[in-house]
Amino acid sequence: MTIQTPLWEFVDISKAYPGVLANDKVNIKLLPGSIHGLLGENGCGKSTMIKTLSGVQQPDSGTILHNGHPTLINDPQMARDFGIATVFQEFSIVPTLSVGENIFLGNMPRSQYGIIDWARVHNEAARVLAEMNVDISPDIITARLSVGEQQLVEIAKAIAMNARMIILDEPTAALGEDEIERLHELLRNMSRKGTSILYVSHRLDEVERIVDEVTILRNGRVVRASGETKINVSEIVNAMVGEDITEHYPKEQNATDTIVLEATGLATNAGVTGASLQLRKGEVLGLGGVLGSGRTEIARALFGTDELTAGRITLKGKAVNIRREIDAIRAGIALVPENRKYDGLFFNFRAAGNITAASLAGLSRFGILNLKIEQDATRDLIRDLEISSQAEEKTVNFLSGGNQQKIVIARWLFSDSEILILDEPTQGIDIGAKIAVYKLMNKLTRAGKSIILISSDHDELLAMSDRIAIVQHGTITRITNASELTYADLVRASDDVSHAKPQEFSA
Amino acid sequence: MKRIFDTQLIGPFAAMVIVAVIVALTTERFLNPGNLSNLSLQVSIVALIAIGSTIVIFAAGIDLSSGSMVALLTMILAQFLKFMGIPLSLAVPMILIVGGVLGLFIGIITAYGRIPSFITTLAGLIAFRGMALTFNNGSPIFSLDPALEPIFYGKLAGVPLPFFYLVFFYALAAFAMNYTKLGREIYAVGGNPAAALLTGINVRKVQATTFVIAGFMTAVGAILMSARLNSGSPNYGQTLELQAIAAAVVGGASLAGGRGNILATLMGAMTIVIVQNGLNLNAAPSSVQNIVLGLIILSAVGIDMWRAELSSLMGRFLGKGASKRSNTHKKGG
Repeated sequence: MTIQTPLWEFVDISKAYPGVLANDKVNIKLLPGSIHGLLGENGCGKSTMIKTLSGVQQPDSGTILHNGHPTLINDPQMARDFGIATVFQEFSIVPTLSVGENIFLGNMPRSQYGIIDWARVHNEAARVLAEMNVDISPDIITARLSVGEQQLVEIAKAIAMNARMIILDEPTAALGEDEIERLHELLRNMSRKGTSILYVSHRLDEVERIVDEVTILRNGRVVRASGETKINVSEIVNAMVGEDITEHYPKEQNATDTIVLEATGLATNAGVTGASLQLRKGEVLGLGGVLGSGRTEIARALFGTDELTAGRITLKGKAVNIRREIDAIRAGIALVPENRKYDGLFFNFRAAGNITAASLAGLSRFGILNLKIEQDATRDLIRDLEISSQAEEKTVNFLSGGNQQKIVIARWLFSDSEILILDEPTQGIDIGAKIAVYKLMNKLTRAGKSIILISSDHDELLAMSDRIAIVQHGTITRITNASELTYADLVRASDDVSHAKPQEFSA
Repeated sequence: MKRIFDTQLIGPFAAMVIVAVIVALTTERFLNPGNLSNLSLQVSIVALIAIGSTIVIFAAGIDLSSGSMVALLTMILAQFLKFMGIPLSLAVPMILIVGGVLGLFIGIITAYGRIPSFITTLAGLIAFRGMALTFNNGSPIFSLDPALEPIFYGKLAGVPLPFFYLVFFYALAAFAMNYTKLGREIYAVGGNPAAALLTGINVRKVQATTFVIAGFMTAVGAILMSARLNSGSPNYGQTLELQAIAAAVVGGASLAGGRGNILATLMGAMTIVIVQNGLNLNAAPSSVQNIVLGLIILSAVGIDMWRAELSSLMGRFLGKGASKRSNTHKKGG
């Protein structure tokens, strides 16, 4: 076996921010055609490394070798010229432009007169998407796509620029099972053609499936770099967290037999077609199914975001008329949205304002807020949920994703809501924070609240749910005890949707 | 009180003091008691209207209509007093109600009609002045009521009354923004309307309410304007809406909504008026005054936008050792 020259080699890269040494002599070697995992908890220095690699910022010290030659990556344009494409976790697509325009953004094919060659934009984009085996029209406005589809457009951008190295930051955070599989197949194809891939993810199960080598960061340093040895998930977890996590899913059994919510034959114009379910007090009811199967749409129907065209909802045996979000909240139903950044948090508020936002009426008398209660409750929740103590003084934009998510959920812990719909509550947060969210779910159910959990992470859904409802084509095809289902069952349920032809389901 | 007097006030306060010191050093008459009391008269109308403009901005809206609404309301007040014989004690509250109703009208069209406030209030800016011209064949109406002038020129314990109006309304606004449900909801709607909707806040009602407040405060300003000149005129209040917005912006309110301190707007208004006063005392022409006002707005927003860069620049000058030491700290947890 010959020793390959790495396509990129990063030697002793250090980067400091005020108060934090974010990267401390980090070494990474990227071989041509290898898929390299970069792992670590939030705040370990992954994002800093990505920014350095993509030319967004300069390291304080260290050397970058390209094909063995020392070089500098001065700015993102230079990174592009070197064939480095970065798919950031925060998308960099323009929602108001078409898919084709986004794919060629900043690099539009032009005719000899310098005018944009729209036919080529369309054809080239269609070719890239077809190559990816993705069924998205290049002409559709990007904002109309789901989060998962938008992610695929991001990756199409990288493919369109013929990148020789692709950096993917949490690429599957928003993807469903079969989309992940499709993405992985795509990445394997690209690596076979010699493209290097730096794959940053929290989802260890898939890292195991796709990655050739890993580098693990903790507190800005490399704690582990594996070569060609078999990658072992529990070893990775230990290396990331720095301690043994024996109890990954601390599930408590708090379900009772009392039915708190019953939905019968729900239908909406958004694609819910006769969904029925019962939710019990203290229960976690998981909604399983792929992205686009209608899980989120069922949640939106229950929450009054989409108007019901048929069906009815009863709470504790009493029929309720939920026409808008405010009706749902008044009836005691809360939604923690999938996209906490855009739909959940008030970045202009500190923890207190975020936590009490849904309970202002209860917190005030004659319109005047009781700030003492707010302050005390916030301090207690910050302590109980192990939220960073900075949250008391700083606005929430300064907090990590895990802390932000805890604050969004803490809002409903503080409110009177009896039923919580959690849409992908652990998306994009690290293992430590995920476990904290699971404990929070226990705390909620212990207090007699009920949870509807939507999650694309099958392990999480199986472990944290009491019962699981399989969602296909906007309806619930069956509800079983979580203990009777396996990972394979969930994958199969997903497969049914993606491969089988749409068919009539009688509710 | 810690809540109201927070760090957001430091910048605008410093700006106001610096400007005042510069003007005091370069202009002899600036610190005369007569001039200072004149200052509080000068600032009162724009600062009172700016309360409403700022609250609209907090909810991520903008109010361009206040200047024209002042003209319309002075003409309606003149109509009430001069031609309809309505007594002053009744006419004043009626004007406050008319202002609130005009604001409600704009608020409903904006919030429930889902037309951006820039457009609805731009329409108001144009239409209200047109409506003002329909009274008295478009001519000003003078000598309204001998009891009107004391509302503006009167004194209590030697202090001009407008000073007390400022204290009263700013105290009320600061209390409302920091201690009431409505104030919190206004910040929430301005900070993230989508999240506000999902937390059960009645977003449209809150948005509409900010325009009612703006209309009411504009009416307060219009009454003072009428009292100051004992008249009503369709020409009053030109560019007043822009001065009010400038006061909010110089005070650090974010036009994106959700951020800012209402008391900072008072300081912003003071800063602008002190500069104008200084230029006046030095007999600068109005052309220069407008250029300076433009520069103040630019630098206020610039300092706010480039805060991070400026502070790191400052840090570079103030001892490298300190920053190096802090760099070796590891991020906790």
